Amino acid sequence: MRDRKITLLGPEGTNLTLLVIFLVLNFISWLTLFTLSDGLSLDLNNSLFRQIVFTLLSVILFFAITYISMDQINQYTFPFFGLITILLIFIFTTDPKEGVRRWYDLGVIDFQPSEYIKIALVLFISKCFVENYNKVYIGIFSLFSISLVFFQPDLGTTTLLIVITLSMFLVSDIKIRSILFLLLLGGVFFFIFLEFGLINQYQLNRVTNFFETVDFAQSQSRLAISSGGITGQFFEVDKINQIFIPVQSTDFIFSAFAYQFGFLGVLLLFGLWIFFFYRVARIILTTNSEFEKFVLAGFSASLIFQIFINISTVIGVIPVTGMPFPLLSLGGSSIIATAVIFGIINRIFIENNVVI
Amino acid sequence: MFFQQKFRLLTSLIALIFLTLLFNVYNLQTSDREASLVSVNKQTLDTFYIPSPRGEIFDTNNNKLVSSSLEPHLFLNLRKINANNRSQYEQYIQYNFVDLGEDLIDEIFESEDLLVRIVNIQDLNFDNRQSLISLEAFEIFDFPVRKYEYNNIASHIVGYLGEPSFEDAKDFPLSVNPNIVGKSGLERYYQDDLAGQPTEIIFKDDEIAQIIKGTPGKDIFTSLDIKLQTIATESLLQGIELANEKYETKNKVQKGAIVVLDIRTNEVISLVSLPDYNPNNFVDGISQTDFNKLNISGAFINYPIQGQYPPGSVFKVVAYWLAEQENIFPEGLSSRNQRINCKGSLSFGFDDGSQQVYNDWKEDGHGNVDLGSSIKQSCNVYFWDIALKIWRDYEGTTAESILQQYAKNLGFGTATNIDLPYEANGVVPDRELFENWAISQPERVRPEGWLGGDLMNLIIGQGAITSTPIQVANAYRTLISGNLSYPYINKNRESQSEESIGVTEDFVNFLLKDLNSVTNEGGTAHASFSILGNKVKDVGGKTGTAQNSGDKNNTSWFVGVDSVSNPRYIIATVVEEGGSGSAIAAPVTRRVIQSLREMEITPVKFGEITE
Repeated sequence: MRDRKITLLGPEGTNLTLLVIFLVLNFISWLTLFTLSDGLSLDLNNSLFRQIVFTLLSVILFFAITYISMDQINQYTFPFFGLITILLIFIFTTDPKEGVRRWYDLGVIDFQPSEYIKIALVLFISKCFVENYNKVYIGIFSLFSISLVFFQPDLGTTTLLIVITLSMFLVSDIKIRSILFLLLLGGVFFFIFLEFGLINQYQLNRVTNFFETVDFAQSQSRLAISSGGITGQFFEVDKINQIFIPVQSTDFIFSAFAYQFGFLGVLLLFGLWIFFFYRVARIILTTNSEFEKFVLAGFSASLIFQIFINISTVIGVIPVTGMPFPLLSLGGSSIIATAVIFGIINRIFIENNVVI
Repeated sequence: MFFQQKFRLLTSLIALIFLTLLFNVYNLQTSDREASLVSVNKQTLDTFYIPSPRGEIFDTNNNKLVSSSLEPHLFLNLRKINANNRSQYEQYIQYNFVDLGEDLIDEIFESEDLLVRIVNIQDLNFDNRQSLISLEAFEIFDFPVRKYEYNNIASHIVGYLGEPSFEDAKDFPLSVNPNIVGKSGLERYYQDDLAGQPTEIIFKDDEIAQIIKGTPGKDIFTSLDIKLQTIATESLLQGIELANEKYETKNKVQKGAIVVLDIRTNEVISLVSLPDYNPNNFVDGISQTDFNKLNISGAFINYPIQGQYPPGSVFKVVAYWLAEQENIFPEGLSSRNQRINCKGSLSFGFDDGSQQVYNDWKEDGHGNVDLGSSIKQSCNVYFWDIALKIWRDYEGTTAESILQQYAKNLGFGTATNIDLPYEANGVVPDRELFENWAISQPERVRPEGWLGGDLMNLIIGQGAITSTPIQVANAYRTLISGNLSYPYINKNRESQSEESIGVTEDFVNFLLKDLNSVTNEGGTAHASFSILGNKVKDVGGKTGTAQNSGDKNNTSWFVGVDSVSNPRYIIATVVEEGGSGSAIAAPVTRRVIQSLREMEITPVKFGEITE
């Protein structure tokens, strides 16, 4: 497997379905951003152009990652996990931006290590499971890196990482009652944090307020989705300005998408993702490699949970968390990280001789 | 070990959630659609504007004169205040911000605005700020804070800020929304450049729907030298104090002006006006009492460009130029070197038969004087003779206003067009003006109209003529450089075309030599300048002591040139009711020249009393 020949679209190289899904999802993002920006201009401040540049970068990355075999990935898992964890530690030495420390400023773009801890954590837990390490230690290591994200503070990503960890433990040979015990422990920790003021009252307020008042951004987002109807407004740009949605091109982009392309568009988007997860699930059930099973399960959990949280937020069934929609939201870090995940999944596909 | 069974279970759960979300979206897009379209159509917005940081103002050495910084402020969203929660918020504000008086808090809640700025919370930490905005009617926005780094120094140049009045709104319509406008100085003249674009906070009902970031204003780089400005201000204050000590006049001396111009470029290096004010006091609004006090003291008047004074003897250079240019000398003389004998008074008769006697300020007379020495000793008789000559030759013809024409060529009678607001024009009187006044302001003129005596008054800078200190400084600069242009403070002000007035190099050399004689042995300002030692041989100037009507003391004038060999600066000093120019304005100017030359700066000392 290690010496497998990789070609761009050939039967031996890239999985065609995966590539097409990846490109179509990106294209949907372009169309949506097109309706939100003043057309296309060759300027990195133009959101559409920025997204196109990142798409091209991510396609290159997708192929580059595909060159790395799963054996090599397995081999470099611990150093990779260690590196990202160190980057997460050193982020506390940077200057806070708007009260949070989340980025390394690299000039043109910001490097956000919490995007890559999602990948590193999945690989780390998978490898530990395969090597049959003590589950308690695995849990402690995972919790340590998750707590680093928690203190940035980044509540959305923390929740996502906890869900990834829990789902991976769940599909392992651990007993269900151990999971329940872990959840209980988590709850206890939460109240201890609360007691010692490590969780601020305002963070809680955001949750409690949700049940008392209607969040303005969410009510506007619901109006936008609702106005889309079955067929969508289809590239309508005047009336959407009458709806006020903050961060419309990032966290709330789904509402703009649903507004323009209606329920049919939503069906297409869901269909693409469901088809993608179906293909992944089939590999999970058929592959012989335990490592690959866990990696695929972890990545799926990560993507699925992001999509669930994002849509639940924009339709207003949970409080605003600030979770982007994978490959739809504007944003460099998120696309690049997702491209890495797609690259690894692609490698797993071809190592299992699934090319269409 | 990977557990397929549990995985299948999990997959079903996920599929269920997917379907639930899809169903939710479907419901929204079908059954709720009609109602949503109606509410979208009904959505309207209101906008609140927060000013962007104004451009900063720098002096010629890049010292920051006026700075701007963004600091977080607490705002109250009044749309969210109702009868039920009002008292709760009132108490909260009272309790947490004890500095705010009850009146101010009432004002906050009575405001008609969408948002009201309550207080600067720069010193509150992150957690305290977060706990503030956990109350739903509180919002935190960055608000620009303007700081005038040198307080009273250069206050009239930079100006101050305030809420736009009805008139301001007409001049600067863009200032209405952010509700702040430059009231005077550069703040006003460059209002549109400095202000930038305000940040827009868009409201949908009681919620903030969108924030459109504004853009900060443009910085202004001025030609001012704040160090010189500080010393010039000190010097003028010393001069004013000295005048109060020396004279027992009815009115307290308190007003004055200094203008320092760069002769080569016409950049304004310094512009002092006293009394002054501290622009920082206006940033958060000033009380009506304090405002009135300042207003009564005349602090809001920018005397260098708004103070209109008879120029007195400093105006004699106009006739000096005219005499050379037109060859008009006292009767019987044909060149600058020929002399008349000044006996201290002039008796003469006009065509209408009237006989008059005019007395020079020096009772014993100046003796034999030519054009140059009558500048040096400020002899009035010599210049009266020139006026008589003009009157006798040209009375009733267009040429009778030749002196006024020369004055106007040097910029008298019209604002210089310096980049500051509210500049005054001054007055150059002639027959036509007197005829107009006879109709519009008959109390200002005699029924006989324009007479020879008026021309004789005019030639020594007395009578109806008024001019601003900057006009006088600019007139001297124009004569020496040969070009009329406008003085400017903003180095990036659009360039101007200079207008040649056609003086010869010879003339300028003579002028400089004669101005130089004023500060040297035998000149009217020698007593005030001798402290410069050897250096006095390279400076020049002209004294002026302009008489005022009523019981007001004379206006003290001095115009200095530094240096004579390499003319670089014009310094014009005026002390209102400061008496003799050589006694007060001259030593003040001398102290400014000491600073310009980086010499040891000595206190302003009372000079010789002359005109």
